[in-house]
Amino acid sequence: MADRDYTGPILEIDKLSISFFTRLREIPAVMDFSATIQPGEALGLVGESGCGKSTVALGVMQDLGVNGRIVGGSIKFKGRELNTMSAEELRDIRGSEIAMIYQEPMASLNPAMKIGRQLAEVPMIHEGVSEEEALARALEVVTDVKLPDPERILKSYPHQLSGGQQQRIVIAMALMSKPSLLILDEPTTALDVTVEAAVVELVKDLGKKYGTSMLFISHNLGLVLETCDRICVMYSGEAVERGSIEEVFDDMQHPYTQALFRSIPLPGADKNARPLIAIPGNFPLPHERPDGCNFGPRCNYFEERRCNAQAIPMTQVHGNDRHQTRCLRHEEIDWTAPPEVAEKKEKGAIGPVVLKMDNLKKYYDVAANALFGGGQKKVVKANETLSFEAHESETLAIVGESGCGKSTFAKVLMGLETATDGEILLDNKSIGNIAIEDRTTKNVADIQMVFQNPFDTLNPSMSVGRQIMRALEIFKVGNNDAERHQRMLELLDLVKLPRAFAERMPRQLSGGQKQRVGIARAFAGDARIVVADEPVSALDVSVQAAVTDLLMEIQREQKTTLLFISHDLSIVRYLSDRVMVMYLGHVVELGTTDQVFAPPYHPYTEALLSAVPIADTSVTKEHIVLEGDIPSAMNPPSGCPFQTRCRWKANVPGGLCEKEVPPVRHLAEGHQVKCHLPDEDLQKMQPVIKIAAE
Amino acid sequence: MDPLTWTGPVGSFLNPLLGIGIGVFLTAVIIQSLMLLIREEDPIVVNPDGTLARKTGLPGGVERIITLSMLLIIVLLLAYIVLGVITPHGTVGIIGGMAKQFLPVWIALIAMFVISMRYKRKLGLYGKLFDSTVGMIGLGIVMFWVFTALFTGVFDLIATHDPLAQVSGLKNKVPGVPMPDADAPYAHYLLGGDNLARDIFSRMVHGSVIVVAIAPLATIFAFMVGITLGLPAGYFSGRLDTVLSFVANLILAFPVILLFYLLVTPEIVETGIPSYMAAFLFVFPLIFFGVLLNSRYYTQPSKRTPILIVVLGVLLLLYLSMINQKGTVIDFLPEWLDLFDLDILVVFVSVVFVNSPTVFRIVRSLALDLRTRDYVAAAQTRGEGAWYIMLWEILPNARGPLIVDFCLRIGYTTILLGTLGFFGLGLSSESPDWGSTINEGRKLLLVFTHPPLPPAFALLTLVLGLNLLADGLREESLRD
Repeated sequence: MADRDYTGPILEIDKLSISFFTRLREIPAVMDFSATIQPGEALGLVGESGCGKSTVALGVMQDLGVNGRIVGGSIKFKGRELNTMSAEELRDIRGSEIAMIYQEPMASLNPAMKIGRQLAEVPMIHEGVSEEEALARALEVVTDVKLPDPERILKSYPHQLSGGQQQRIVIAMALMSKPSLLILDEPTTALDVTVEAAVVELVKDLGKKYGTSMLFISHNLGLVLETCDRICVMYSGEAVERGSIEEVFDDMQHPYTQALFRSIPLPGADKNARPLIAIPGNFPLPHERPDGCNFGPRCNYFEERRCNAQAIPMTQVHGNDRHQTRCLRHEEIDWTAPPEVAEKKEKGAIGPVVLKMDNLKKYYDVAANALFGGGQKKVVKANETLSFEAHESETLAIVGESGCGKSTFAKVLMGLETATDGEILLDNKSIGNIAIEDRTTKNVADIQMVFQNPFDTLNPSMSVGRQIMRALEIFKVGNNDAERHQRMLELLDLVKLPRAFAERMPRQLSGGQKQRVGIARAFAGDARIVVADEPVSALDVSVQAAVTDLLMEIQREQKTTLLFISHDLSIVRYLSDRVMVMYLGHVVELGTTDQVFAPPYHPYTEALLSAVPIADTSVTKEHIVLEGDIPSAMNPPSGCPFQTRCRWKANVPGGLCEKEVPPVRHLAEGHQVKCHLPDEDLQKMQPVIKIAAE
Repeated sequence: MDPLTWTGPVGSFLNPLLGIGIGVFLTAVIIQSLMLLIREEDPIVVNPDGTLARKTGLPGGVERIITLSMLLIIVLLLAYIVLGVITPHGTVGIIGGMAKQFLPVWIALIAMFVISMRYKRKLGLYGKLFDSTVGMIGLGIVMFWVFTALFTGVFDLIATHDPLAQVSGLKNKVPGVPMPDADAPYAHYLLGGDNLARDIFSRMVHGSVIVVAIAPLATIFAFMVGITLGLPAGYFSGRLDTVLSFVANLILAFPVILLFYLLVTPEIVETGIPSYMAAFLFVFPLIFFGVLLNSRYYTQPSKRTPILIVVLGVLLLLYLSMINQKGTVIDFLPEWLDLFDLDILVVFVSVVFVNSPTVFRIVRSLALDLRTRDYVAAAQTRGEGAWYIMLWEILPNARGPLIVDFCLRIGYTTILLGTLGFFGLGLSSESPDWGSTINEGRKLLLVFTHPPLPPAFALLTLVLGLNLLADGLREESLRD
């Protein structure tokens, strides 16, 4: 093709505006958006959900659906205007020169077609090569994305692969025609942390190898730091700041960028010196945007009649021609001033043991042949000898990836399942074998749960007040409806929601508000133990901090024991007192937060720490990429559960790792690991996260 | 008296206009489709102020012609009805006569639409229906027949004659035939006479009463059975689900018509099978409401007990009167307690029996999906009973698909009732229901076409209306 020799920017977006048209009104999704991507460069597009970052990607692909329309500006790909291209020209470019990778890998693969055929289709359509040649190239690319046994993969169907493998196939498909531009729309959100780290590593390597330019869309600042050269922060349909990674991360020039960084926990910083600061207020709906600066109503530096007087243009930051910001006051603000810290609240003293797990086991029988109940029975060991204690007003974090048994553990604790073996002691009374319907109301009310998905946690057809009232009825709080109504309003006060919300239906609430109602419902019966199952992971960054703070504040007041299930080690480090790391049903490490986050580590903890993306340029991490996926709990490896992916395995003599499950070893007071590694190797371990001296 | 023509004297100038309107409309539609074949549709242009401008020039012109001619047609059709209502009998012929007879229905429809349009934002899903043209048309047609049935059955308004009365000399006479007796309260047979010299128009109108009374009621019963069995099947799954699903499949696999023939056979009726089936099927509403209220209020016994006693008491009385049938195996209630006798019990039983397995399967699959939600888990972790979760957490959130299916299912039931009538099953042969009248008209179809057409048209419009209504509801419930 002639334009293979093109040397200018790969993608030039100039003053792009995109709107969606509904029956009622025009909804501007993207306004006055400009960006340039040079060959081989990776641009990160960061923002909260609803800020228009995916719309930009779809605009580049010219795939906005029936309601969406580009209402202004231009998109030039290799100097050619995409907006005026005919459908045929666009078909030629899509998939061959611009490829896109979506969030949900299973949804982007055709489930009825073998992987090999799906991959071979790309060059067969775009370059008209023969099937053999296309399949040969598919094999090459599948090898490139580091999938084991590529020949077998080509012959399998998508559902036979794990999520991580599927996403690699999607990446392979995007690379089949050696595109000049790769658009990645949250490519790793659906994956586990360690798998995410491996995929990100792969994307970076392939970008270098093929010289592809990338548009990387993510809400995770840490991921963008690791993958991109330049970054563009978006807020409510507009780009608010643009520049290279170092400029934006270390020398931010827009209040929203600053607020965003202050609301995420960084492992490099201390939680007392640098507490999380939530962004006040809510994200404006597209048709309710304020005049002037969109961020104005939530901004600390807002100035009446200046910031809301007229639309604010993108301006150059003084002395730097590729760093721009959409802030009128960026030269007046002292960006280095430390944040105003609200009064420091003392953490409640840790009290006596409330909950004790003793050798808890939960096995499931899975019949091999479900229809006739015959055949061999398989046992899935979801939890294996779980022992720990939790104290009053303590936060115990349970960390692990999907399939590690944390949900099963929560179910057994709540009484939805009964334990196979071992005991759960609540105030020294065993409850492990009592199903929830046989527990006393007091016991049920004592242990409550906060769920992960805010859009699923409330019954959509019942008003908020009614749902809390129902919990009160069940927990036998109050003697009549009037008393319960009063208590319900107090609970709304507790989670800092206006009392008027009692009459609202869940669909009228934002994600963060729904999560608050979920918390209020959990505390309806004065719960003493609250299991929080990733309570903030589905929320936007700016509300995460507020919900986290709320949980900790309630804990201080009510002396609650918080069991905080999460895979996000940054937030775990920020709020927990002790940490328990789980892998395939085993507790591999347990200790205080400081013990777990400093060497010696369990090899899995070490890998987890390394996998967490950190949005801080002063942090250097050791890169430990785990090979392969988490083994299935149906068919766990022999010996140590982690031995298939462990990088220290060679240091253990005699192949002990493959033969025996390691014993629990106490390294220090209250610090235990399950590992065969000899002491000297454990002592040799280096910290994974290093903060550069300032 | 002279026989009536279809449109009367007014038609002589309205009819040509209507002809022209339809002609222009069809030509324009053909031209537009040809243009679409030749060239691609023009893209919609965006103006600088953000509004959209649509096609100009020739394509725009054709589109305008289509809109205008369609408006003309609608106005003319309305003119027939309005003129028919306001002018004296005979001016607008048969159509005018019918429009006049339906006057109460028109008033009720207009009142309903005006009120609903005004308060549509406060009326939930029903209000949203008025945002969708298809839904409004469907609702209009359905409510037309509902009001017709109401005014005929309760106030005896719309029909012109007794549906069973025979007038000698009018056998198989064409529409608009005058009555031989000049003193008759209504001067014509609007839609002619059937082979027993009865008024077809009155029979059609009376037929709607039977359909509108039975179809929704039978569907509600089928839903009660389906929901009460489907929820636990989906929620618990496992063995219970296997057994219930197997039974449902068994019923679905049985030929429906054969089942009907069996159920109405005198020998089978004598064994009491239909009565026992009624006793079994109609107990489900009792179970449903009993469990529904108990699971909701069991934490407050002082409130629950009176509510349960009142509701279950009323339902029990209705239930007993319903299954208690003189001359059958279930006949034990004293006369004064037996509120009513359902002479079409067999029809009712069979319709509920064949409909409930399908409802069961829909509810089961919805429950299977919804039970994995976090709010169900939240209810479980606060120790709610299984029935509370099923009826208060799962069922309300399955309402969208269920309401849509309810509308569709009334349509199926209507057809089923027509089929039953057509085969002469369960209903008396004199009955004016649409199925029976179509069947009677069929016998002389080659000689006289007019008797079976009105009931067939009525059946068609009602089912069409229900399907459109279901479409509108589905469309609007998906939108938020």
